[in-house]
Amino acid sequence: MEKDQVFMGEELNRAAAAQAGWNSCSSGMEMETDELNCVGSCFLNRKWHNSMDQSDPFESALSSMVCSPAASNAGSTNFPASGDNTMMTDLIGKLGNICNTGDISPQSFIKPPNNNNNCSSNTSCYTSSLDSPPKLNLSMMGGNQILKHPSLVPVSADPGFAERAARYSCFNGLNAQLGVTEAEFVQLTRVSTNQSIMVTGSQVHVPDSNKNTLQNGNSCSHKRNSRLSRCSSPENGDSKDESSISEQIPGVGSSIKAQNDANARKRKSMPRGKAKETPSPAAADAKIAEENDESTAKRSKQQNDSAKAENKENPKPPEPPKDYIHVRARRGQATDSHSLAERVRREKISERMKFLQDLVPGCNKVTGKALMLDEIINYVQSLQRQVEFLSMKLATVNPRMNANTEALLSKDMFRSRGSLPHSHYPMDSSVLAFGLRYQPQQGLPMNNVISNDTQIQFSMNPANAALHKTQGLQLPPVDGITDANPQIGSFWDDDLQSIVQMGFGQNPPQSCQSKHS
Amino acid sequence: MMNTPQQVKNPSSSLKSRFITRFLGALTKITAEDPISSSSPTRIFQRYRRIKVASNKSMAYSVRSRRIWSRAMLSRFRSRRSAFSGRRSSVKTTNCTTSPPPALIKVTINEKKTAKGGLDMQTDELRELVPGGEAMDVCNLLDETAHYIKCLTTQVQVMRKIVDFYHLSK
Repeated sequence: MEKDQVFMGEELNRAAAAQAGWNSCSSGMEMETDELNCVGSCFLNRKWHNSMDQSDPFESALSSMVCSPAASNAGSTNFPASGDNTMMTDLIGKLGNICNTGDISPQSFIKPPNNNNNCSSNTSCYTSSLDSPPKLNLSMMGGNQILKHPSLVPVSADPGFAERAARYSCFNGLNAQLGVTEAEFVQLTRVSTNQSIMVTGSQVHVPDSNKNTLQNGNSCSHKRNSRLSRCSSPENGDSKDESSISEQIPGVGSSIKAQNDANARKRKSMPRGKAKETPSPAAADAKIAEENDESTAKRSKQQNDSAKAENKENPKPPEPPKDYIHVRARRGQATDSHSLAERVRREKISERMKFLQDLVPGCNKVTGKALMLDEIINYVQSLQRQVEFLSMKLATVNPRMNANTEALLSKDMFRSRGSLPHSHYPMDSSVLAFGLRYQPQQGLPMNNVISNDTQIQFSMNPANAALHKTQGLQLPPVDGITDANPQIGSFWDDDLQSIVQMGFGQNPPQSCQSKHS
Repeated sequence: MMNTPQQVKNPSSSLKSRFITRFLGALTKITAEDPISSSSPTRIFQRYRRIKVASNKSMAYSVRSRRIWSRAMLSRFRSRRSAFSGRRSSVKTTNCTTSPPPALIKVTINEKKTAKGGLDMQTDELRELVPGGEAMDVCNLLDETAHYIKCLTTQVQVMRKIVDFYHLSK
């Protein structure tokens, strides 16, 4: 997003010559929602280059932009490929390409859920602030709007975009207020613009012809990003970008940085709580700022909590003040969307590795994915070998099982989960043997038989292959069960009864339950 | 996404209880069908294989189709069954775990470690170990591995209990 914005800014600069086009574009923008992108770009262009002859192009653009968000929020509109201004179209196309090429999905955008509402409210503040040069208040208002919705919500392109587009003005104003140089502001706004445009672009049909320009813009944005040290792609890079941005823009508050980072990271909707950072109101005027802050906070928090971005298995989170520095280390990463997606993927994998670390004993000391995987592989192999060994043991052991033994064994296993049954029951080989004579399905009848010393008929499941026991767990004739109810009660606790019910679950359970309730 | 490492304690729905029920039934069936008195190595080996398959099958059925690895395992069982329908001995002999011989795995690990860096080799090894792992991406593979480990530990637990039970009963 940052790069997109940067790109857009550059494009806007390039389009400065085509003031007429922008003018027409601005007028046309009022008509459609997607034109908000154009409005934003036009707005930026005009603002920076004074290319517009309009007395207050910013205001006009904003007003038009403001009006459209409300309309745009209603639904997504196709990008006006036949836009009044080819340059605008190209720019938007480029932005769309940035969105498309990058792994930027609406979900990656974190925006407050009430974008529409905010948009309208922002509109008011925008319009009011339009009269005066962009000021901090505007951003403040916008920021307040945003701050009201701190929850991170996946961006839905159209409604969110409209709001973001609407907030550009605030963002721009804020930047100006904060003394951000125009170039930086352009970059920052571009980031914001790119974000929104990207969001919109995902929903907007971008002409193929625009894609080339977008890619060019991407390169520009990359360049600018590198200048700003804003890495949009990696999640961790976001914090890096944040730090880098802050370094480069001393005047910009942390919020701006967060904003930029959020722009960079908007693609990544980290589920982590964003509680950590709340940008200053000034910085939060734009939705993007909020998103950025949120994502930045998330990133920072993530950095603090997991520190996974750079150190795969490093359990030490960086100190909060080092977040930016920590992030900066990753700034060298590529900023394209592929890297972003890669980073998300890596994060997921790290999560799972941590989970596995808890599962596999003795993995706590091991750090690093490779070693962890080795440990996991060894553990799985050892478990499989244990199963084989135990099955061999079972094969060699004379399994003279009878119903009593079966019941006791089941009882013990259910009672003492994880513990070996050593002295819980009187070991009775006859019981074991007795149990073995019965159909597997008759888990319960075996107990009955034990108590009654009767043999229940094998209800062989005709389809029951040698080992297809699970299907064979059918409730056999329940006659035997009824007889053994009193004895069964003595054998079975609630666990066993429930298990039996479950074991015979394939059959209508009511019969089982009725017998053993 | 991730299963909790703790098994469900509710017996009526616990994976462990389901496995116990199934496996005990299978075990009794195997021992019933096979004369225990015969102690020829062949019979013992056959019984061993049947028990091993029964154990894996019981666990796979207890998990049903909730997991990729269990689905892969069940499909493998079913394909083998259908391929060798009528030839139970073949079915039994061919039913085996998906893991290659441990010794081979070890060698493979060492070789791969020296071959090249990265996690690809370990990932491939893990794919070999976990049923159905070949078709999974790393993310899912780790998920499945976690659940597979959990189920394997349950299997080992139950079988060890049974073995101890048998020993104590002697």
